[in-house]
Amino acid sequence: MSLPARRPLSTLALALIPRAVALNLALGAVVNALKLPVYLDSVGTILVAVLAGPRAGIATGIVSNSVLGLLVSPALFAFIPVAIVIGWLAGVTGKVGAFRSLGGAIAAGLVIGVAAALLSAVIVIALMGGLTASGTGFLTIAIRAVLGVSVDSAAKIAAIATDVLDKPLSCVLVYLVLERLPRRLSARFGGATA
Amino acid sequence: MTSALDRWNPLTPLAAAIALVVVAFIGPQPWTPVVVLAVALLVAAASGIGGKVAALTMLVALPTFVLLVLVDVAFPDASASHARWVPSMASTLDALAISLRLGAAIAALGVIVVGVAPRRLTRALAAKGLPAWAAYLVIASLEAVPEARRRADDVIDAQRCRGVAMGKGTGVRGRLRALPALAGPLIVGLVTESEERALALDARAFEPGARRTALAPIGDTRGEQWARRVIWLALATAIAWRLWEFVHTLSIVS
Repeated sequence: MSLPARRPLSTLALALIPRAVALNLALGAVVNALKLPVYLDSVGTILVAVLAGPRAGIATGIVSNSVLGLLVSPALFAFIPVAIVIGWLAGVTGKVGAFRSLGGAIAAGLVIGVAAALLSAVIVIALMGGLTASGTGFLTIAIRAVLGVSVDSAAKIAAIATDVLDKPLSCVLVYLVLERLPRRLSARFGGATA
Repeated sequence: MTSALDRWNPLTPLAAAIALVVVAFIGPQPWTPVVVLAVALLVAAASGIGGKVAALTMLVALPTFVLLVLVDVAFPDASASHARWVPSMASTLDALAISLRLGAAIAALGVIVVGVAPRRLTRALAAKGLPAWAAYLVIASLEAVPEARRRADDVIDAQRCRGVAMGKGTGVRGRLRALPALAGPLIVGLVTESEERALALDARAFEPGARRTALAPIGDTRGEQWARRVIWLALATAIAWRLWEFVHTLSIVS
């Protein structure tokens, strides 16, 4: 494998990414403690993307899902494209200033949520027949039972319903953190918050 | 972590696993996934990791099969020829095919996940040109996870002591309000810590684009190098054959 040897990311971004990846996994403990019907497994990816730009966000997404694949289940390798889209879109929306206001952060979350949901639904349908043994999978069954739509359609609706709640909440968390982060530090990243 | 796979350069089982995953999806169904699953489980058993790989596989494939059959049985299509609560042969076979394909892929990748230490795999990739920054991200992330989990538990305990309501009696709105109190310190702590880590990297003259010389290089025999070339060639041939078949089918239809 041969990758370009040029300097891809700042040292600060390189130091932040592993912590953001760990954050994506560690926030699961917070979600469990609060028993919230969300995942919040992309907060680290969104944070890096907003602070250090889309390329850093994409790198965080790839490493995050690769580490999840190694530590939790190889099935999560399949969702690397979703993490890439989340990292890229968060970086782009950050660059246009979406995270300078609460409303902008929610709007960015909705855009990221819909895109991530559609892509993850396509992957779940193609690889797993539309169902996973997760909260989204059981929501898919419930939608199929109540609305009588096909499993594929139910999977798409369930993915959108989950991500449209999860990603705006993740973006609001990132917005709140950026508000509290020392200006000196966020300016050092040179990203959208500066 | 040690396994019989440590005798090999990690890139050889990785190449084999990637090839098996692709073949499970593009090969004739349902027999190719059955063969791939059997091969992966046999390799895992021979490497002394059979139980763990089988458990990883079952954890994904079995619930998928059960859920797919359950949905078809409990909520059949209006056009379905079978009655409710009676499984149809066609949809059960469909569910079996999907679960087998998924199980084959998980088993093949599971051999790598369980049998090859990530640090060793990253070192082998670095020897083949993976730049220092990419190797650093993978290794540092794996090392950061346990510390972040411990810190998350500490923050939860500390906020619980301070009276932040998060139990079952608290409504969803109350628990949502508690979220910044729990996640905030964790996130801010990790971001501010990254500044110190960046200083340490700069102080050590870390060069992200550099290729590093390994102190103890991982062995890569000529035989293994040829084995990998054969695997990649066989995979490219299989993909080309499948594409040719697909184009041929399209031309017949049109």
